[in-house]
Amino acid sequence: MLFVEFRFFWFFLAVFAVYWSLRENRTRKIWLLACSYFFYACWNWKFLFLIVASSALDYFVGAMLARTDDPGKRRGWLILSLTANLGTIAFFKYYNFFVTSAAALLAWLGLHPSLHTLNIIIPVGVSFYTFHSMSYTIDVYRRKLEPVRSPIDLACFIGFFPQMVAGPIVRASQFLPQLRSVRRFADVDARGALVLFLTGFIKKACIADALAPFVDRYFDAPWNFTAGSAWVAVLFYAIQIYCDFSGYTDMAIATAALLGYQLPVNFRFPYFAANISDFWHRWHISLSTWLRDYLYIALGGNRGPAWFVYRNIMITMLLGGLWHGGAWTFVIWGGLHGLALVVHRAWSGKRKTLPEAREMEGRALSRPYDAGAVAPGSMRDATAGVPPVGPRTFAGWLAWLVTIYWVCFAWIFFRAIDLPHAVPALRSFVFLSSGGSEDLGVWMLWIVAALGFVHWLNSRATFSTWWRRPSAPVFAAGYGCAFAIVLLFIPPHYAPFIYFQF
Amino acid sequence: MTKVSKNGLYVVIALAAFLATSGLIHSLVPPIIPKGVAAKLKFFAGHKDEFDTLLVGTSSIYYSVSPEIFDRITRENGLPTRTFNFGIDAMHPPENFYVLDQILKTQPRNLKWVFLETANIETKLHKVLGTERAVYWHDWPRTALTLRKALNPRGDANWVIQISRLWLARRDLATHLTLFAQRFCNVGRATEILFPQNREVDADLELGPRRDGYRLAGNAMTPEDAASFQKRLDEEIAHARPKPLDPAADGVYRSYATRLREIGAVPLFVVPPLIFQSPVSFGQSSPGPLFPFNDARTYPMLFDPKVRIDDAHLTREGAEEFTRLLAQEFVRRARQP
Repeated sequence: MLFVEFRFFWFFLAVFAVYWSLRENRTRKIWLLACSYFFYACWNWKFLFLIVASSALDYFVGAMLARTDDPGKRRGWLILSLTANLGTIAFFKYYNFFVTSAAALLAWLGLHPSLHTLNIIIPVGVSFYTFHSMSYTIDVYRRKLEPVRSPIDLACFIGFFPQMVAGPIVRASQFLPQLRSVRRFADVDARGALVLFLTGFIKKACIADALAPFVDRYFDAPWNFTAGSAWVAVLFYAIQIYCDFSGYTDMAIATAALLGYQLPVNFRFPYFAANISDFWHRWHISLSTWLRDYLYIALGGNRGPAWFVYRNIMITMLLGGLWHGGAWTFVIWGGLHGLALVVHRAWSGKRKTLPEAREMEGRALSRPYDAGAVAPGSMRDATAGVPPVGPRTFAGWLAWLVTIYWVCFAWIFFRAIDLPHAVPALRSFVFLSSGGSEDLGVWMLWIVAALGFVHWLNSRATFSTWWRRPSAPVFAAGYGCAFAIVLLFIPPHYAPFIYFQF
Repeated sequence: MTKVSKNGLYVVIALAAFLATSGLIHSLVPPIIPKGVAAKLKFFAGHKDEFDTLLVGTSSIYYSVSPEIFDRITRENGLPTRTFNFGIDAMHPPENFYVLDQILKTQPRNLKWVFLETANIETKLHKVLGTERAVYWHDWPRTALTLRKALNPRGDANWVIQISRLWLARRDLATHLTLFAQRFCNVGRATEILFPQNREVDADLELGPRRDGYRLAGNAMTPEDAASFQKRLDEEIAHARPKPLDPAADGVYRSYATRLREIGAVPLFVVPPLIFQSPVSFGQSSPGPLFPFNDARTYPMLFDPKVRIDDAHLTREGAEEFTRLLAQEFVRRARQP
């Protein structure tokens, strides 16, 4: 079930109506849990046991961690939880990758062992809900969080349907306190949530899905296309993946908000980043902060000499790339971003940071920041505290251009079916040379420019408040009309969310 | 007014605005007709008065009836016709009725004979055809027809049984209602207008080399497939029992027969040489002449694996033979008082 499907509207209508008609917080949570499991079962009920098992194990581990102060035992319980959760991901997502990579390596060494791959279905959202689950046990282990008493609470946190399959990756410390208090509809910013849902719907259904056929056509056989087409396809993909993922996140945040829960902000105009570390402050924030807090810092963070910090950044980014799937293209993508972060860090250390860049830059991956925090209060605060985006000086423009070029360059690896498919796309994108003659239509770059302009206006908060001015009946009528018009502009077929596969 | 009722009122206002806007757009923006159907409809609209005979059906008609041969035989037998093959891949009832409606909307002046492939209402959709192909014909009459079939397949269920079938038929109901909603809400109509390259139609391919709607499907089956086909055919013959059309389909065929007669055309019902061997019949009297070719004992030449591609399609030789038989039978029946 996708957020953009008709059946989701019926599903959510039922969830919403029953949820707010229930008085007891516990009953509400049981209802939410039942609905969340139903939501997941609509994709494949057989994999529900994984979520239930993960929740049960981590509830048990949390309880055992609370019972003992023995560091050895505590570490043992943590290792059990991490092994189970990471083992699940490793088996479903990486088994075939490791086997084929090992076979290739052994063949290169002249050995030919008989290694078999398995026909494995990857459970939707496995990387997301296991990360939710792990954040709980790690925080309990670090004594940052009290273990939950009610297994319903933990199951609800891990399985909460708006964020279960594609994030944002919510921390237990952010979500569990919300489950403990009774939500009041009076506190819900319904108008903000509805507008955010519509925005996400437009991003996903009208933009990402409309661009998908062009991108798919190019990346299926990049050698057939002209160099201009490579630019069109890569820029379209940059827009597609942003609109797809941030659109999903917007709808997830809005859906949760309508039920009285707040999820963290996941994107803050990433393509207006001044540099690569600023980019990671704005792109998939919940993942980058998760990796920072649970991996980068665990590796030693930036407490050491430069090479030590660079090593930690590279390991974090390579594993971050691998998190997306078992393929070398993802590892290279992570490596390219890691390399860029290392270069940027070295550059920033040796030279005075460009004033423009410094103004726009968020805090880097290695520095503490609050982007992953729960959006305070309501949708209207989603962009609060974010400095104005976009370059203003020549140096700022230059920094932005280098950043966006590198990000797009790396997207080629992310999107390519495999490395042989990536090479011709890279050649066309970098050297503007291609033997292909098919043309996607360079004129379509105006779509990139138009969407970029709208996005820039949005970053200036141009659209952020005017819809709050009309009275409620006028807003309701306008919302109904707007939705009817938006449906006109979506492709007649739905494409799955890109991040579902991760 | 309490807060709950106020919020309820806002929901009603939003829904009303949504439905009103969708309805308005629905009446202004043309529907998306899928490629194959659009090519034939467009061509027919431009040449509607040139044809007096139409064949409407699935790929079993599309790839199996050559208008050129049909017209030659009717001409040789003193009953000249000018035929257009309106067969479309997987166009089962009720989609065929929607297309027939579009054909009749063009008001063809010289239409005399309309062959309708005769089959039950299909509630299952062919996923390979894609969403666009499923959406366009889901107006309310066609949707209601599929829902009726899904809830009451034999036409004899009382309301209690129909309610109990809600659960059994839930997937069909959800699918068809969603497609109806998609059509009513105009999903993607503007996209199709803004990006017309998505709808480029290879009219030459769809209309066939002689632009009469007929084209060849492929080659004869392999010896292994032929053996399997023969085995299944024998089983079908052994288990053949008369099977009346489902009441929903029966009723609609009758109503279209009436409509066709009103514009001066004669409805003719044809069952192509499918492997399915049970004789098809209308519930009571037939609303028009029925041409059942799914009979291997009467037409063994159409069931020889050498002239078959699969269970439903014929090779060039098979198609030519079927066309000859259909034309001869048509002439014979047309001359009967």
